[in-house]
Amino acid sequence: MNEATTTESPSSEPYRGTVTSSTIVKLSGIAKTFYRGNEAIHVLEGLDLDVPTGSFEALMGPSGSGKSTLLNLIAGLDRPTSGTVVVAGADLTRMSDGQLAKWRSQTIGFVFQSFNLIPVLTAAQNVELPLLLTSLSRSERAKHVATAMRIVGLEDRMHHYPRQLSGGQEQRVAIARAIVNDPKIIVADEPTGDLDRKSADDVLTLMERLNKELHKTIFMVTHDAAAAERATVLRKLDKGALQ
Amino acid sequence: MNIATYVRRNLFRRVWRTLLTMGVVALTVLIFCLIRTAIASFTGGVDDAAADRLAIRHKVSITMQLPKHYIDDLRQVPGVEKATWANWFGAKDPKRRVPFFAGIAVDRDSFFEVQTDMLLPPDQLAAWKQTPNGAVVGDQLAKLFDLKVGSRLVINSDIYPGDWDFQISGIYTATRKTVDRSSLVFRWDFLNNDPRSVFSKEKLGWMLARISDPSKSADISKRIDAKFDNNDDQTMTMSERAFQLSFLGGFVALLSAFGLGSLVILLIMALVLANTIAMNVRERTHEYGVLRAIGFPPGHVFGFIVGESLLVALAGGLIGVGLVVGLINHTLGPAFDANPGFLRNFFTPTSTIVIALAAAVGLGLIAGVVPALGASRLKTTDALRRLD
Repeated sequence: MNEATTTESPSSEPYRGTVTSSTIVKLSGIAKTFYRGNEAIHVLEGLDLDVPTGSFEALMGPSGSGKSTLLNLIAGLDRPTSGTVVVAGADLTRMSDGQLAKWRSQTIGFVFQSFNLIPVLTAAQNVELPLLLTSLSRSERAKHVATAMRIVGLEDRMHHYPRQLSGGQEQRVAIARAIVNDPKIIVADEPTGDLDRKSADDVLTLMERLNKELHKTIFMVTHDAAAAERATVLRKLDKGALQ
Repeated sequence: MNIATYVRRNLFRRVWRTLLTMGVVALTVLIFCLIRTAIASFTGGVDDAAADRLAIRHKVSITMQLPKHYIDDLRQVPGVEKATWANWFGAKDPKRRVPFFAGIAVDRDSFFEVQTDMLLPPDQLAAWKQTPNGAVVGDQLAKLFDLKVGSRLVINSDIYPGDWDFQISGIYTATRKTVDRSSLVFRWDFLNNDPRSVFSKEKLGWMLARISDPSKSADISKRIDAKFDNNDDQTMTMSERAFQLSFLGGFVALLSAFGLGSLVILLIMALVLANTIAMNVRERTHEYGVLRAIGFPPGHVFGFIVGESLLVALAGGLIGVGLVVGLINHTLGPAFDANPGFLRNFFTPTSTIVIALAAAVGLGLIAGVVPALGASRLKTTDALRRLD
């Protein structure tokens, strides 16, 4: 198995992206079954997937095709019924819930459709949240937050609350939160779903920059064809199988 | 920012909900302390009763009287150092029913020797003994009725007809805070010699005995009752505490019910608090899912919720303590002191305040634990699917 280059994350030197041609996500023989009462619903069956490090992949498919389930498996939020999930060199199927939580905080950056910022915290405090789980000092955290906010172009909105920001700005703050701990991979679930075209373009441009300039691997689930076009790889999922 | 910042900010996310819940906690602490203070006020004399004093009354009822010669027999019982007696007079101000004050006819020679926690200056005691219609009043009653040594006081009785004209011979103070400082004490011979008291002539209401060894009070009590066992009027000897409790009569059961009520109020507070926290958690389940997704372990989510519940309970509890100190200890207590009646020493002790605050915080913890467990155990993917 190819392993991704490991970096100590987060470091006092933020965003030292690494370029490798190895595989950062490797899913083998994945099946995922949900139960509704006694009825078994097979969402994913015998799925294999390799995602190279540094790629920007979009995953499309109709509703109920298993996109979000696949994303959750890659992000370590859920476990497969069978098969193995190896992300950034870690076999997620062998990890406990506590280990998974710690792994997520160091390895994964999340971007959600509805931004999911904490309304009682300022933009900077929202971005700082993942860093509270690290041993960084207050000043080091502030440095990381300032850098992340600068990358997303919102250094002048640090002390604004989410209600004081536009939808596009909220999503950019959410992206800053996703990258602040220098994760190896960013998973995005319909990141432009709640945005107008202009804001969506801005967010996609930002994600392209993260991929090209900071070499972040991005795995994005989307219904938006325009968003999918910005990715370097487009995958389609239908009835639990990759096309 | 630190993790506590999030907990603190969450407190005022729903300002009115938080303030109302804190208000409930504060009111609960106040009501709890109010009930406990009232109970302590009613039973204060009981709890502070002298261990070296016994009370002897008619075996059938306190309303039945004992022959006068019993006091001489009582003084002969081994272990009894001094003995005295008293009769209930049922004093009342002819102009007004309130405030209530106790009026007691007592033996001039022995009463203050047994009732040593009522202090009367020697010159006033001597003057009282020389004045047939002399009366001694507590300093609070003297202040309330504006009485001074030498003042004249005309009162009525619930038992004996007509006006009763007294001259104030002395004003007593108390060595213990639970002694009633609003009683009127006058000479038993003055009552006994009055033709209006013919039905209680040469009769005693009850006797009080000071004993040499409080540890032998049970034996001495048996000896006293045995002494009168073959007489027509048998006695019942009891500790001063039991004697005072008997005055409260059926009211003791009511006080017990109040005591239980104070605990029920704490339970209601816990339910209100639990409801508030449960509503908050339900509204924020999706948010907790987000926090779990970005790496916060279940323990942190548990801590956020319990921490918030504790903060609401503590803040409400502290407001309640402020109300207790302001309303009870600085307003009602002094007011009852200035207008003596049934409620004496109406001040909430620090121990009760500490118990109330500890109960608020403890119940806040319990109220937060159940929703916190539910939220922290929820699968991250399930939490993320929940919307407000």
